Amino acid sequence: MALNRDVPLVGKEPLEGAYVLLTFRHPEVAREGRAGQFVMIKAATAIEPLLRRPFSIMDVDPRRETFTLFLKTVGPGSRALADLRQGETAACLGPLGRPFTAPEPGVEPLMVAGGYGIAPFHLFSIELLARGVRPRLFYGGRGAGDLQVRQPFATMGVPVTLSTDDGTLGHHGRVTAPLEAHLDAAGTAGRFALYACGPEAMLQAVARLAERRGLRAQVSLDPWMGCGIGTCLGCVVPIQRAGEDRPKFRCACTEGPVFDARDVVWRGQTASVSSRERKAEVGA
Amino acid sequence: MSASLAAAPALAVEVAGLRLKNPLIAASGTFGYGVEYEGILDLSVLGGLVSKGLYLEPRDGCDVPRIVETPAGLLNAIGLQGVGVRHFVRDVLPRLVRFDTAVIVNVCGDTVEEYAEVTRVLEDAPRVDALEINISCPNVKKGGMAFGGDPRLTAEVVTAVRRATRRPVIPKLSPNVADIALFARVCEEAGASALSCINTVLGLAVDVERRRPRLAFGTGGLSGPAIRPIAVRMAWQAARAVKIPVIGVGGITSAEDALEFLIAGCAAVQVGTANFVDPGVYARILAGFAAYVARHGLARLSDVVGTLQMPGAARPEAPPETGG
Repeated sequence: MALNRDVPLVGKEPLEGAYVLLTFRHPEVAREGRAGQFVMIKAATAIEPLLRRPFSIMDVDPRRETFTLFLKTVGPGSRALADLRQGETAACLGPLGRPFTAPEPGVEPLMVAGGYGIAPFHLFSIELLARGVRPRLFYGGRGAGDLQVRQPFATMGVPVTLSTDDGTLGHHGRVTAPLEAHLDAAGTAGRFALYACGPEAMLQAVARLAERRGLRAQVSLDPWMGCGIGTCLGCVVPIQRAGEDRPKFRCACTEGPVFDARDVVWRGQTASVSSRERKAEVGA
Repeated sequence: MSASLAAAPALAVEVAGLRLKNPLIAASGTFGYGVEYEGILDLSVLGGLVSKGLYLEPRDGCDVPRIVETPAGLLNAIGLQGVGVRHFVRDVLPRLVRFDTAVIVNVCGDTVEEYAEVTRVLEDAPRVDALEINISCPNVKKGGMAFGGDPRLTAEVVTAVRRATRRPVIPKLSPNVADIALFARVCEEAGASALSCINTVLGLAVDVERRRPRLAFGTGGLSGPAIRPIAVRMAWQAARAVKIPVIGVGGITSAEDALEFLIAGCAAVQVGTANFVDPGVYARILAGFAAYVARHGLARLSDVVGTLQMPGAARPEAPPETGG
């Protein structure tokens, strides 16, 4: 059950560039937070920006009643959070949304992360390893500086394949290229499930790849969110589930952010929900 | 949150025959159908809540993106996505029964007849305390603001809803008009029990790289602290123009914000965008009310209603009672 709390900052670890790890005390998020879920959070004293921001839960520590977020300071909301000092508080509602679901036994989870989309896969790896399942990570970014969370996966014994658009670290090119190579190498013997979090173009590429190869994929979407609990209806995405004759706008905050990739109607893919409605209105 | 604070006798108000334990009402479109807040917020601390707008049938709403944050504000074009009034009556209303708060249903329509039909569907439903008439949504192609921007259509809609129900009828007025006092009077003459002032302010945000609107719909409705002075001014103008009570709404995030509306003449207030920002907003406002009542030695909070002392020169028109 999500709970609204003022949460003190109890840990801050600046990383390279604009990245930072922030740890807050929130007993319910620490106890119940699952990989793929998120919190709505903003620095308590900040008037601007107005709205809280959604961030994936990267780690939880039920014993210390804390959770950790991985931030890239890209705007005023993330900057105000990153500027918090120890003991200062943020207003936080969580845990929210639907988490990733673990694969069936015998299926290898392949996690595909783009940039700060790495956050949920840290917690997901911990959850999977606790069930005796070893995931594999494909971690891509624009440059080496965008691949900030590597050591924890090495420590956990999760195999990581890095890639960068500019070739400064790992494979030179898209994160999906080494993923495809891994699937090819396994041949028909391999059984895989894909999990993706990152920029929409990457998610869409993973969804296409999964469809082509007949794999199941779960994608974590990241639209603008107003409230996190399904009341503002600002974060809806067109979703068409099996058996439905047309897409329906569904809240990413309550019915996602993790969706089955097959159900997502991607931008530019087909007519969206309301463009159909508009056509109906003008009699087209 | 202290339930006793929410129900302190000094905070009780009466609006259009509704006895509210306090003057805080959750605004339509910012609170879902109320049930979304179960577990996060005790709905019984609210004086009342207004449902998301309801048509006869379910609606998909606008394409995405639907929201964009602007300075101290939120620009939205949701387009009244909703479950439809029959689904609401069957599946949502029963879940609201156990909460001690007034339930106000926001009624929408593409036509005057649809407003009346939605009202009739609600008339047999238990647990509906009043109807708010949405004649001011800026994000639909038909209905909405098209009704609220035309005095004749406003009168038609309010009259039709008035005839279809025994319950209090509360038109929600648009700020996107030159003279809100005119619309307030039209509603009063058509049988309105109270007025909600105001809906969102029509706005436009531009993505300068793509040279396109930042919202898929194009224009949107602006809410949040950015519009509060506009809302207080328009609620004040409406309250001076009519005898029926006015419910102030627009950018309230604190007790001081709410008091501005009360002092300007509003009998109660609605909290909107702040619901998205902080589910704890009601607890904070109620605590602020209690402190204010104590600090000013008031018997009840409603003693401040309409006590605004405006300098004469700033009045856009002479106050009707004094002729001065």
